[in-house]
Amino acid sequence: MRQLLTTLLLALAAGSAAADAPTRFALSGFGTLGVVRSDKDDYHFRSSGTQSANSPGQNFDPSVDSVLGIQGTGRLHDQLDLTVQAISRQATGYNYTPHITWAYLRYRATPALTVRVGRTTTPFFMFSDSLNLNYATPWVRPPSEVYNLNPFSDLDGIDLLYRIPLGEMDLEIQGLFGNSAVSARSASTRLKNAKGINFGLVGSGFSAHAGYARTRLELQWDDGFYRALSNLLTALDEKTALAELSGTKGTTEFFSAGFQWEKNNWLTIAEFAKRRADRYINSAHAWYVTVGYHFNSLTPYATYSQQTQDAPASDARLPPVFMPLVNLYNAPRNNAQHGVALGLRWDLARNIALKSQVERIDAAPGGRGMFPSDSAADYLKPTSPVHVFSMSVDFVF
Amino acid sequence: MLLRLLTAFALLSPLASQAELVIVASPRSGPIELSREQAEKLYLGRTTTLADGTPVKLVDLPSGTTRDEFYLKLTNKNPSQILAYRSRLVFTGRAYPPLAAESVTEARQWLADTPNLIGYLERGDVTGNLRILLRLP
Repeated sequence: MRQLLTTLLLALAAGSAAADAPTRFALSGFGTLGVVRSDKDDYHFRSSGTQSANSPGQNFDPSVDSVLGIQGTGRLHDQLDLTVQAISRQATGYNYTPHITWAYLRYRATPALTVRVGRTTTPFFMFSDSLNLNYATPWVRPPSEVYNLNPFSDLDGIDLLYRIPLGEMDLEIQGLFGNSAVSARSASTRLKNAKGINFGLVGSGFSAHAGYARTRLELQWDDGFYRALSNLLTALDEKTALAELSGTKGTTEFFSAGFQWEKNNWLTIAEFAKRRADRYINSAHAWYVTVGYHFNSLTPYATYSQQTQDAPASDARLPPVFMPLVNLYNAPRNNAQHGVALGLRWDLARNIALKSQVERIDAAPGGRGMFPSDSAADYLKPTSPVHVFSMSVDFVF
Repeated sequence: MLLRLLTAFALLSPLASQAELVIVASPRSGPIELSREQAEKLYLGRTTTLADGTPVKLVDLPSGTTRDEFYLKLTNKNPSQILAYRSRLVFTGRAYPPLAAESVTEARQWLADTPNLIGYLERGDVTGNLRILLRLP
């Protein structure tokens, strides 16, 4: 990756030196400074599976939402340009170490057809391409019930974008192929040979998205619950169930669809997503609806969101005496919950937005929703509703 | 009370001024045709060409009343909505922002000199070396 980056930067330097007017090299950045706290000491909110479970002694946790991003774009030729973006945020595997999120060459073969090669982002969700860019959306963060269904964001490969006018709207069809890797909480995991197709419809004040992807999944768990269950399955000689915990033979499918609509200052955003996995992880679906209103520089909004588990991570059938261990294994791998959020975006200056949000979250039985813990005792207690308060400043420069 | 406050706010708001805005280009650009829909698509980064396929580049005026009013009239988005919308285009590498002029004079100079460059001005700022493509009353 480092070598690729060096090559790209050299190409960029050469290109910008050679190109005559209008030479276009642009450097820009964005960021969020945010804090989150819940009203219960043993419930630490985590919006993504890439964030670690523990944050001892922190009441106002800055690690969930804070992010800084820098992007350089250079036009190498009329039809060819290069985009490189790096971000810094707290996540397993790269604690605030800069991480390359975009590094691609884009070739506009015709006004309708674009080819991108390099690192782009997986298009699993409506806001996948701007996951770290909170300034672009009304929320503090995209609703986690939907967005934590897929922690993979980098896509190393190739995609094709084809744009067709459709009446007053434009239809964009994207086909992609590539690989992805991510260090998640207590797991390292990879997507191999991901293939996907996406449809985007854009009109005046309206846009819609639908996408489907199918990919090989490799995953190695390394948490205590996993070790306990895999030891037990080994002892019981349950080979099939053991092979379905961790390994390199998974297949997953991902589907999502959503729309955004703005009219007369009203704003509506809704999205549905579903993931189906044949092993290693659970299958689940989720959706949300947000309604907001632009009142000059203030945008109050309300969101209802819900994630439901369709099948647990392990469906091992063991003698009843061992089933509590299977349930304990499945509980942290089930993020099902539902929540209601009320929030306010305030555009207090050009390029700066201040946001605050209060959520009431109920974890579904059989898990702790998005409040992971490393302690088995926490999963044995009944859950109760949790209130989560978030405040952030988003900026672009 | 609320209504009176709102009225007062609307009167004070710079967006309430009613200058006529026009979209212009250099007469050297050839026979350019520009519909309101195409202008909206261009300024929202949904296309980089005219309806006939001619590639064009865009100019933005500096932050201020004229720019805010232009976007409100053309796209129905207020300044913060435009900034939020555009940030997503820029930070996904999907579109370049328009060339940012530092003054009306600079914008006018660029527009007069450069073929296939499109920009907006207040009607009163248009000089003889520019061609009006579209009026936004």
